[in-house]
Amino acid sequence: MNRDLAFGLLGAALAAGYYRLAASIPQSALADGVGPRGLPIAYAVVLLGLSLILIGRSVRTRNREPRTRNAEPGSQHPAVRVVGMLAIGAAYIALVPWLGYVVTVAGLLLAVTWYLSGVVTRTIVLVAASGAVVFWLLFVRLLGIPHPPGFWARLF
Amino acid sequence: MDPATLLAIVPAAFGGVIWGIVGGALPGISPSITMALLLPLTYGMDPTAAIVMLAGTYVGAEYGGSIPAILIRTPGTNAAAATVVDGYAMKEQGRAGEALGISLYSGFIGGLFGLGVVVLLAEPLSTVALAFTPQAYFALGVLGLSVIASLARESLLKGLMAGVLGLMIATIGTDPVTGLNRFTFGSAELLSGIPPLLVMVGLFAVGELLAQSGETGWGQTVAERARIRFPGPAVWRRIALPQAIGSVIGAFEGMMPGGGGAVSSFLAYNEARRWSRRKDEFGRGSPEGIAAPEAANNTVACTSLVPILGLGIPSSNSSAVLLGGFLLHGLIPGPMLFVSHSDVVTGLFAGLLAANIAMVAVGYVMLGPCIWLVSRPRPYLMAFIYALVVSGVYAIETSLFQVAVALAFGVVGYALRYFDVPLLPMVLGVILGFMVESNYRRALVLSGGDHLTFLQDPVSAGFLIVAALFLLGSAARHLSRASRRLHEGAAV
Repeated sequence: MNRDLAFGLLGAALAAGYYRLAASIPQSALADGVGPRGLPIAYAVVLLGLSLILIGRSVRTRNREPRTRNAEPGSQHPAVRVVGMLAIGAAYIALVPWLGYVVTVAGLLLAVTWYLSGVVTRTIVLVAASGAVVFWLLFVRLLGIPHPPGFWARLF
Repeated sequence: MDPATLLAIVPAAFGGVIWGIVGGALPGISPSITMALLLPLTYGMDPTAAIVMLAGTYVGAEYGGSIPAILIRTPGTNAAAATVVDGYAMKEQGRAGEALGISLYSGFIGGLFGLGVVVLLAEPLSTVALAFTPQAYFALGVLGLSVIASLARESLLKGLMAGVLGLMIATIGTDPVTGLNRFTFGSAELLSGIPPLLVMVGLFAVGELLAQSGETGWGQTVAERARIRFPGPAVWRRIALPQAIGSVIGAFEGMMPGGGGAVSSFLAYNEARRWSRRKDEFGRGSPEGIAAPEAANNTVACTSLVPILGLGIPSSNSSAVLLGGFLLHGLIPGPMLFVSHSDVVTGLFAGLLAANIAMVAVGYVMLGPCIWLVSRPRPYLMAFIYALVVSGVYAIETSLFQVAVALAFGVVGYALRYFDVPLLPMVLGVILGFMVESNYRRALVLSGGDHLTFLQDPVSAGFLIVAALFLLGSAARHLSRASRRLHEGAAV
């Protein structure tokens, strides 16, 4: 499947889902002529129309283009690395209220560097730890942002 | 301007320029990403200082991009791509310091010229806009959205789809007329909608981070040490014409939708070569080949403010982020800004002057740290950018939900890059969506539901006609390009 076709199908699916949600918005007694669902429904219809044109265009041109392989054999698909990066971000969001800002941001720095370079060295650990201190000084001490202190705050 | 404001904006200008030079010097980090990373940190600042800092970042990033372009043949920004040709050739001849000096000096000249254009044009444009009705505001929003047509160079269709998706995102939250909740799924955090800032940080910064993490084979580059040498009188005379050419082209391109630094740099390079007496030196280390594009892209950094300040419409990714900075501080750019917050506008002009002066001093001092940063292994840089994003977004409203939203928009940004869909149309949709919907509905309430009201108001009708011409012109260009490709395919 080429990328235009995939984006067209995704657009059509989004338009259909958004239309269903827009149509379920209740009408208000205060509503004007257009109402709260007027423009959302119009957007959904326009997106669906554009998606169908893109699908039609990509199906028409697909037969003329030479087929290409998506990935080199044996190479890790880029999406896998992207999912890993997102998982690190999700772990940060989940852990920061418990572990506190300094520890979690150090963990994030360490995890991303390890994940992208494939190695953990003493330098990487030191850079992550000192980087976390720099971030804490900048955001918490200098800018006064109340980042979560974590359970450590209860111990001291 | 009172001394307290001046005391706030001068350090902000210096800080912005430092941040901009560092961001611009890192290949893959565009000026818009550099600005998006800084945006959350400006939340607690004085509004004028915050806007000056963002504008200073843009100014600094345009110069910063030329550092790796000259030293390691890798443009730090798209706009610095034209500088690579002669800049790297000069470096190969052992003239890296001279090339960096020409870049810095030309950027300074371009920046001052651009500032003059902004001061002259922005206010007259805004006084016209003071007479705007809801009909005119709606039409202005439509005109802003029609910019999409010129931004989506490769695929008008995909650009339009991204624009509509942006409009859909703008409908999340409380309905502007009835107060009903739409698409909030019972979440209190979504009641006030998704702030454009989160969309921008997600699409530009997180999206780029994810896209770069998906790339393989990062080679570590080591930049050689260099010292800036400012041009002497002979070179100064030689580069005066290319600087003038670059400044004029940059002034026009900065105000045009979709123009931006990259287009203006290449146009300026070509024109400088056409007007040069030493055409044969271009491509082999010509100072003129650096002066023209560098003057152009720094002029753009200033003149892109004209449509923002005059009409409230961004013309490029970087100016969209700058617009996000205004919105973050409750400032609505456009006609009313000169009336309600004239102090901010005056402060911005003074800040831009300070930023351009700061660029010369800071550019000289920051070269060493930039060379050090460019030579760092990429995983360290990516880790620090990631930490900066999550820490910065949290700082806006101390909300982890917003961090999650920014990451989610990072996925959207990655997907749009994967599908070759331009990002700016979606940002425009998010920024202009509320303005379009609220004024459309207000105008219809005032006119008793008569759609002809948009054509009866002369300003509204004018904007709609220009928007229609814009769209039709772009569609015709796309169609003729497609049919030419079809004929070429048939001929083969």
